[in-house]
Amino acid sequence: MLLRDPFTKALHDARRSLAGWAVAIVAVGSMYAAFWPTMRTPEMADALAAYPEGLLEAFNYSDLTSAAGYLGSAVYGLLVPLLVAVFAIAAGTRAVAGDEEAGTLDLVLAHPVGRARLALLRFAAVAVGVVLVTALLGLALVALRGPAQLGDIDVGGFAAMTLHLALFGLAFAAGAYAAGAATGRRAVALGTGAGVAVLGFLANSVFPQVEGLAWAQRLSPFHWYLGGSPLVDGVQPVGVLLLLGSTVLLVAAGTAAFARRDVAV
Amino acid sequence: MAEPAIHTEGLVKTYGRNRGLTGLDLRVEPGEVYGFLGPNGAGKSTTIRLLLDLIRPTAGRVRVLGADPRRDGVALRRRIGYLAGDFVVDGRQTARELLTYLGNLRGGVPRARVDALAARLDLDLGRPIRGLSKGNRQKVGVVQAFMHSPELLILDEPTSGLDPFLQHEFLAMVREARAEGRTVFMSSHVMSEVQQTADRVGIVRDGRMVTVARVEELRERAVRKVEVTFAEPVDAAEFAALPGVSEVTVAGTVLRCRLDGRADALVKAAAAHTAVGLLCEEPDLEELFFGYYSREEATRAVA
Repeated sequence: MLLRDPFTKALHDARRSLAGWAVAIVAVGSMYAAFWPTMRTPEMADALAAYPEGLLEAFNYSDLTSAAGYLGSAVYGLLVPLLVAVFAIAAGTRAVAGDEEAGTLDLVLAHPVGRARLALLRFAAVAVGVVLVTALLGLALVALRGPAQLGDIDVGGFAAMTLHLALFGLAFAAGAYAAGAATGRRAVALGTGAGVAVLGFLANSVFPQVEGLAWAQRLSPFHWYLGGSPLVDGVQPVGVLLLLGSTVLLVAAGTAAFARRDVAV
Repeated sequence: MAEPAIHTEGLVKTYGRNRGLTGLDLRVEPGEVYGFLGPNGAGKSTTIRLLLDLIRPTAGRVRVLGADPRRDGVALRRRIGYLAGDFVVDGRQTARELLTYLGNLRGGVPRARVDALAARLDLDLGRPIRGLSKGNRQKVGVVQAFMHSPELLILDEPTSGLDPFLQHEFLAMVREARAEGRTVFMSSHVMSEVQQTADRVGIVRDGRMVTVARVEELRERAVRKVEVTFAEPVDAAEFAALPGVSEVTVAGTVLRCRLDGRADALVKAAAAHTAVGLLCEEPDLEELFFGYYSREEATRAVA
């Protein structure tokens, strides 16, 4: 029964948005993957060679000569992580701050539910959503391996990439959740998430091209997610641990702050 | 005497630079209906939010049903029903879905109980909440506050937005709750909302309790307008000197006056004549209530 507790209720309430995001992200990922056979033509290679290298790097288009390079750039390198980040930030914001600003949090908290428990169960529902959407994308791409001529990437590569993407989404969800739980403000939660996403993206793709700013890349969640090419070389323990660690820390800090503060009217 | 249902001592809540509560002493006995009165901004909602542990006190002590809302909040809130004046929920769900969920948070409420309450209030549970009128939405709030038969009902301006039929039904439910030995704590900014049901009223102003009185006593103290019709003309002077009687006017056989306090002396004096009719206006407690305010202001101005 989906109305059993705050965890299942949050999933129940998110069902439409979850379905929408799953369709959008799977569609965008599959569409780009399906372009791969046309990207292999010499004409396309020449066209891309004409672009300045810096611009291509800025969009994570580092290697477009292999299926793994193309997927890592066009699919997993740009649009998909940005979509996943937006989806995760929106969901993380809704967990506490969105509900609080709508004035609907009071009623639930006036019931026999602990504050920390409520918040954690809601984050758990967000996490399930992020994992679900990223896993569906992974499954769709595995299914497209034959038709889209992606045969030189093995299933293990997709699994590793999916794990990285899911953890990347969780970290952004945790950031928006923590900012929202600590302040109760939707705008703060959304702004924090969006700010980290933009800075993180620049730190990973643009700053390294500026002399003296290369170190910034190592602080970027985009680097933790993409660094070491999980699609080819499998799970990257350092990236996984950094993403997982920041998620756990953010969720713990946000929940602790929420349990201690006043709930807004 | 048994432990109070609600007990606060020197309760202070400061929001930034605003003083929400400035030292509230409140004592609600088990089994009574307590009207918590005050103008908007006096600290009524702040008090209620403190009782439910939605906000935390700056200073002072709070006990609800013998428990600390902060430490034993979860167990405590199982025994409380809460209704906010503006009952806001996500409108995409049906009332049935919401009530099932809220019931589950409380460990399950029999469906028959929810159905009975909904039928009593004439509420359609199957429709999405966003499609309901304000009054119908408030009914959903009433059902969720009463459905688990809580020991303590905390109602924040509960009848605002209810139509007369629903107000009547709601007040009947409050009386039944009291008859079953439950405690009701009900805030309002108008006396008329609580005077029909409350045993006692506490008047809060600027974050402090100004006065607490039994409604019966208030009624006794209240000024009534009295009109007595006699068989023959009477002399105004005969009545003007009576204790508690003022503004006596006589027009032929009809005597009009204001009566402050007990009616005994006036009735006995009237009994010396042949009284044909007696009209006694129901006291306006609202007037008395605002009387307290102005008196309080005056005392403060002197001090």
